[in-house]
Amino acid sequence: MNAIRAMLYREGRIRATNLVFIFWDLFYPLAYMLVFGVGVNAALGSPLSSAHLDYNSFFLGSVLAMASFGIASNTSWSFFLDRDNGIFFEMLTYPLSRSAYMLGKVLFTILVSIMQAAITLALGRLLFHIRIRWELVPLVFAAMFAGTAGWFFFYSIFALSTRRNDVFNSVTSILYFVFLFASSMFYPLEPLPRWFRVAATANPITWQIDFLRYATVGLGNAHRVAQESLLFLAFSIAAFLYAVRCLRGQE
Amino acid sequence: MGTLALEVHELVKTYASRNNPVRAVDGMSFEVGSGTIFGLLGPNGAGKSTLLRMLTTLSRPTSGTARVLGFDVVKSPLEVRRRIASVIQETAVDLLLSVRDNLLTFARFHGVNQAKARSRADEVIDRFRLGAEVDRKVQDLSGGFRRRVQVAKTFMVATPVLFLDEFSTGMDPLLKREVMRQIRYEARNGRTIVLTTQILSEAEELCDDILIMNKGKQVARGDLNTLKSLSQEVYEISMTFESMPEDIASELSTLPVLRANVENNTLEATLKAAEGTVLELVSALARHRRVLRMEVSGASLEDVFLELTREEA
Repeated sequence: MNAIRAMLYREGRIRATNLVFIFWDLFYPLAYMLVFGVGVNAALGSPLSSAHLDYNSFFLGSVLAMASFGIASNTSWSFFLDRDNGIFFEMLTYPLSRSAYMLGKVLFTILVSIMQAAITLALGRLLFHIRIRWELVPLVFAAMFAGTAGWFFFYSIFALSTRRNDVFNSVTSILYFVFLFASSMFYPLEPLPRWFRVAATANPITWQIDFLRYATVGLGNAHRVAQESLLFLAFSIAAFLYAVRCLRGQE
Repeated sequence: MGTLALEVHELVKTYASRNNPVRAVDGMSFEVGSGTIFGLLGPNGAGKSTLLRMLTTLSRPTSGTARVLGFDVVKSPLEVRRRIASVIQETAVDLLLSVRDNLLTFARFHGVNQAKARSRADEVIDRFRLGAEVDRKVQDLSGGFRRRVQVAKTFMVATPVLFLDEFSTGMDPLLKREVMRQIRYEARNGRTIVLTTQILSEAEELCDDILIMNKGKQVARGDLNTLKSLSQEVYEISMTFESMPEDIASELSTLPVLRANVENNTLEATLKAAEGTVLELVSALARHRRVLRMEVSGASLEDVFLELTREEA
């Protein structure tokens, strides 16, 4: 427990004393909502006007998923930072197990994403008057918890098995593009070509977005969302097991 | 020997290579008592750092066993890590944290409470002359300063064993002297220090017990006097002449010289001969010339090191 507290303290000090991280972790997804969301809503209108939902309401779950995806990617990149600073290997001689090291990092990441979610929900309500289903907000936090953990473990696999920073950055850029655009993040899937729908349905970020959309504004089918959340859980567990294996292989 | 800090038995580390596997550590066995300053010496690639990486649980041995204060590095790595602090060969600091935060974070990982960590940090900052830079982020400091922070961290905690892999790299002489004083102080208080170094004078000055290794194997082991006795009939001479004799090179070529260096009017040479012969040779060199300074001494650790590792090479 002491080791995990120490990890949280370390990550907290690094983030709190570096403005760049605060921008990327807390405000970047919000900027998406403020610029992209407002822009699409005003210029193109809502794809769900029949359900009396504007684009901002549709996009809220996407912003939350994007936040957990982005924060997880940033934290997994910190493996590189630690390795370049030499501190990564020194830390492996500290009194903490490798799983505690991983757990400390992921808990901190989750904490940041939940803070981010709270800010996004508050601003969504205040600025865009989104009708949030407050009774389901605990589910939003649960989705941020599981989602951030899943994405962190997924990205950690690449961070721990790639030696070069530029290779990792290329991989994450490609993943960012594929995962975010081949999903239900920016548009509903129904009007899209079949091949696109199949790809998007198999995309774990779609599962997380669908859950968050249901938990924020009540959009979607509860049965389908439950199925997708189970799939996402399986994805997260598999990613965790493989990431721990990669960490154990570090020497 | 009282309690054993280290027990290493038939330790092997093999790295896979495309052509043939490399045995970086090849069947090392030794024990180190608590409170000892133990030096691991060897040329580049001898396997010192690999050995240290296994002892600090960073790397798993291919075979053999190693115990730190009775705890097996493979079976109980966490128990080992609770009892050690280490300075790895590469600079290892949190660049995005301030100097003070680096010290405090390290202490936290070792379970030191906040109040104690703060007062300890003040002492360490003072001792390592970090005061002027204490609130600056380490990324804004020079390489030497970063190394200073890295070494300073290990003095934040009182783990019974301290591993230092070439700790003095990038340190100025004043600081190095202070760190060496600290190391001696810690050892007097029962802390076991395991250090590797390429600077033999450091080992000569600090270590109670030295192990010389080459190509992954132990070449020699003992205290300074024991090691020097391994290099029988090796003497170092240093002579400063009023003016350097012109025929010195040809004269030296007839002598049993292992190494010689002539600079300005000073000749420094290592001779391998019986004591009487060495004195005769020195007299011969001094004859008909005005000698301003002359010194004859037994073998240094460097002589022993060079002789042993050259034989092995």
